[in-house]
Amino acid sequence: MQATEVVKLLLGIGEPLVGRLLTYDALGMRFREVKLRRDPKCPLCGTSPTIKDLTIHMDGGGGACAITPDGAREPLPAAATPKAGG
Amino acid sequence: MKTLREMLAEARQVVPEEGPADLQRRMNSGEKVVVIDVRDPDEFRDGHIEGSTNISRGFLEFRIGTAVTDPATPIVLYCQTGLRSVLAAKALRELGYATVINLQGGYQKWVQSGLPVVRDVPMTPDQIQRYSRHFLLSQVGDRGQRRLLRAKVLLIGAGGLGSPAALYLAATGVGTLGLMDGDVVDLTNLQRQVLHTTGDVGKPKVESGTRTIKALNPDVNVIALPTRITVDNVMDIIKDYDLVVDGSDNFETRYLVNDACFLAGKTNVHGSIFQFEGMATVFAPHEGPCYRCLYPTPPPPGLVPS
Repeated sequence: MQATEVVKLLLGIGEPLVGRLLTYDALGMRFREVKLRRDPKCPLCGTSPTIKDLTIHMDGGGGACAITPDGAREPLPAAATPKAGG
Repeated sequence: MKTLREMLAEARQVVPEEGPADLQRRMNSGEKVVVIDVRDPDEFRDGHIEGSTNISRGFLEFRIGTAVTDPATPIVLYCQTGLRSVLAAKALRELGYATVINLQGGYQKWVQSGLPVVRDVPMTPDQIQRYSRHFLLSQVGDRGQRRLLRAKVLLIGAGGLGSPAALYLAATGVGTLGLMDGDVVDLTNLQRQVLHTTGDVGKPKVESGTRTIKALNPDVNVIALPTRITVDNVMDIIKDYDLVVDGSDNFETRYLVNDACFLAGKTNVHGSIFQFEGMATVFAPHEGPCYRCLYPTPPPPGLVPS
């Protein structure tokens, strides 16, 4: 699936998964699509970003403690809980 | 009878002209513009403007309909010096295309201005056969295949996600694949990490990955990066690639790749899996959300199993 997206992006064809999260449940054999919106309060790509370089990563951990989580965000559907495995 | 000079003068009265710098600005601005090279195919192969389509002058009226579906789309035509294309532009205007511009001075002036060009290296008979099924797809074709062969994609992780992505991209004929992974192959990897084989246990993943990719498609130039991606190397590595495929297996790397790709303006094709569930999305800087829009901060260690 990632390879298909790469080819589409390189060729500028079709509709890439920009702003859409596709989830796959192998046991239920179901695909779901979740619309994703840009978060204006995003610390990286929001309107007033606080992350302007990679110093947040200097201590490791992806900046786990460096940002206060924004409690006002809409919760993502259960299917979209983050997954670490690669 | 009209002289050539009169014909050209007549065409110039109705066809606006722009110089190479103007055309480059248009193309870089993301404006929807169709650039057509009206020279003969052998001239086009010897060098052309990247992103242009070759429809030689003799076929222009026959093929323009497939290249430009909306007659309101701006069209820029060029030839070698700007003469054939100004006559061609007049013909397109007469067909009803609203904005047809001639590249003043043509390809020659573009080259003299030091602007980048693309040369088509002829495909080998093996390549023509290997990619023949792509040539049948109108969305790919000979031009798309050349674009793929010129493309550079970085795969972060040669594991469960990186393996199938690497195999398919190699088979497709993506010309350069950066394969980055600091791990060695473990027997427990083999039930899913299909780049590696039983004999590879104990070897660096990028080594077995490179061998598998080259065996599948010798056209692919594999850049083996036997190291973990870190805050110190990420920017220097990703700058050489058109796209990044994140197939990493931990949150620390995910956030690092996300942040670095956004800052460097690189699109990140994201995937992640856990047990029977997986997800995929594309993070395109400034076009859509990033990983932090979904999950502003990494989960505390131990909360989500990796």
